Amino acid sequence: MKKLLLATTLILPLAGAASAEGTLNIYAWADSISPDLIAKFTEETGIEVNVDSFSSNEDALTKLQAGSSGYDLVTPSQHFVKIMADEGLLEDIDAADMAAYAQLDERWKGQWWDPENDYSIPLAYGTAGFSVNRDTYDGPVDSWSVLFEPTDLAGSIALLSYPDEVVSAAQLYLGIEYCTEDKAEMKKVYDLLAAQKPAVVAYTSDNIENRLGSGEVSAHFWWDGNTLRLRNSGANVEYAAPKEGLVGWLDSFVVPAGAANVDNAKAFIDFMSTVENATEQYNYYAHSAPVEIDESKALYTPENAPELFPTVPVVFAQACSPAAQDLVTKVWTDLLQ
Amino acid sequence: MSKSFRFWGLVPAWALMILTLIIPILIVAGVSVAERGAYGGFTWSFDLSSYQQILYSVGWTDELEFDPKYVAIIGRTLLFAGGATLISLLLALPVAYYISQQSARLKIILLYLVTLPFWVSMIVRVYAWLIILGNDGLLERVYRMFGGADISGFLFTPGAMITGMVYSYIPLMILPVYASVEKIDPALIEASHDLYGGRWTALKRVILPLAAPGLTAGSILVFVPCLGTVLEPMLLGGGKQLMMGTLIQTQFGGARNWPFGAAIAMVLLVLVVLVLLLNARRARSQMEAAL
Repeated sequence: MKKLLLATTLILPLAGAASAEGTLNIYAWADSISPDLIAKFTEETGIEVNVDSFSSNEDALTKLQAGSSGYDLVTPSQHFVKIMADEGLLEDIDAADMAAYAQLDERWKGQWWDPENDYSIPLAYGTAGFSVNRDTYDGPVDSWSVLFEPTDLAGSIALLSYPDEVVSAAQLYLGIEYCTEDKAEMKKVYDLLAAQKPAVVAYTSDNIENRLGSGEVSAHFWWDGNTLRLRNSGANVEYAAPKEGLVGWLDSFVVPAGAANVDNAKAFIDFMSTVENATEQYNYYAHSAPVEIDESKALYTPENAPELFPTVPVVFAQACSPAAQDLVTKVWTDLLQ
Repeated sequence: MSKSFRFWGLVPAWALMILTLIIPILIVAGVSVAERGAYGGFTWSFDLSSYQQILYSVGWTDELEFDPKYVAIIGRTLLFAGGATLISLLLALPVAYYISQQSARLKIILLYLVTLPFWVSMIVRVYAWLIILGNDGLLERVYRMFGGADISGFLFTPGAMITGMVYSYIPLMILPVYASVEKIDPALIEASHDLYGGRWTALKRVILPLAAPGLTAGSILVFVPCLGTVLEPMLLGGGKQLMMGTLIQTQFGGARNWPFGAAIAMVLLVLVVLVLLLNARRARSQMEAAL
């Protein structure tokens, strides 16, 4: 018995070391990576993959800032890629030299969040807007005014629990630039949201599918692909096409500085970006793919997935200066005080 | 031997306390006076502006003005935590008393049932209330079954939030109250009846005073976690009004102001220590009175 115990204690650290060579720890948006593809990756390479999920960019940023997060791969949106890179939180993976980079659509190369293509390979893109339940609401959805200055929808609206996308949408509606440092302009955003608040049931980012699908609320601030998936599961929901525009986002793979398994992370990025796998990921995640996919096998087309092919302007969220971010925070804390 | 054992025997306990309690609190205190980083994080320095921000902030007109919003949030948190504690207390006393009156076998089963929810993740338990309180949920259906009018909107109210808080923490009230109620000698209650005390008098002059230590311990165990709770305000309260827990979370997340979040956490800590001190003082004066 004693010998057995001793043997186990001696072997344990070895087992830990052995598996550390073959692991990959991913921190991604909830349900954003196809489990089938992860299984396939493990099968092909023998690398064991652990996935944890976050539900806001802020959570991902905070985790990396706290240091030694233990993750090898994170999938923040474009403005947070910029902040993370500027803060020195990302590993330079020479993204431009990777196989995945060759698969990338030209429009995502050399963008402001990663001008030298050092840090990031995009994974998915889409928009943030709002969705309505067509069983409980049959009015128009062609403007943000339906949501922000509600009449029919009053008392049946839910927004997100974070200001990031919501404030950006309010700025689109009011014709104010993202990340403005002008107090008077942001006061208008605050006034709009404060006047809307009595008509809002909840500010929450959890459990949106159920809340909107069951008709608990008639309108919910939400994302394009999620609406598509809910609609395909049988719910009578519609993604609004506000003429003032939608808030654009692009999530990218990045590697946190000092990650233990950089090579595995890069292997996974390349794996996810092959035409075959990217198509499977597209069909699973139901958000637009920034890399080349096999159109003949893609499930979603402009005809059956209008959510993914917006006809209104899309304005991508930016990385705000600290002063501008403080105003966004002030709007939000004053709103929820 | 015994003297050196008293010292060395306590070393593990001290090491644990220092490593897991004292040092983390010192770090939080340090961050609260640090300078905030542009995009979250912080740099070490000495800067009291985080504490100033609790009372004064720059308004929409660019002037530093007295701003009661954080005080209001702290006040609201105290009020809701106090309310949840009081409701737990009122519900727990009869339950604990009932359990104490059962046979030894049944007592064990009932106490086990009280602790049973702790084996399930807190998030799952709070989510369960979404189903109970939600539109067309359990509560609404039962209400309609008994001929209630068409109603909705239990969820996302302060009431829903307090319900969740009471539900989450009431076992922490029942157990200590049970421990003190169980020790009450039934002869004392009989004696109060013999002296022409009615049921109310027996409760007020015999049971409550004897159960007081359990009630106090239970109240502290419920009140303190309620002060810092995050899940119930977000999931059941609908996040429409910030509480201290959610405010601290926002500061470390979206607001990217760690020092201010740490400062609010320190305020929360001071409130908790105050509650504990007040209680310790009361317990001491009671003990002196008893002697």
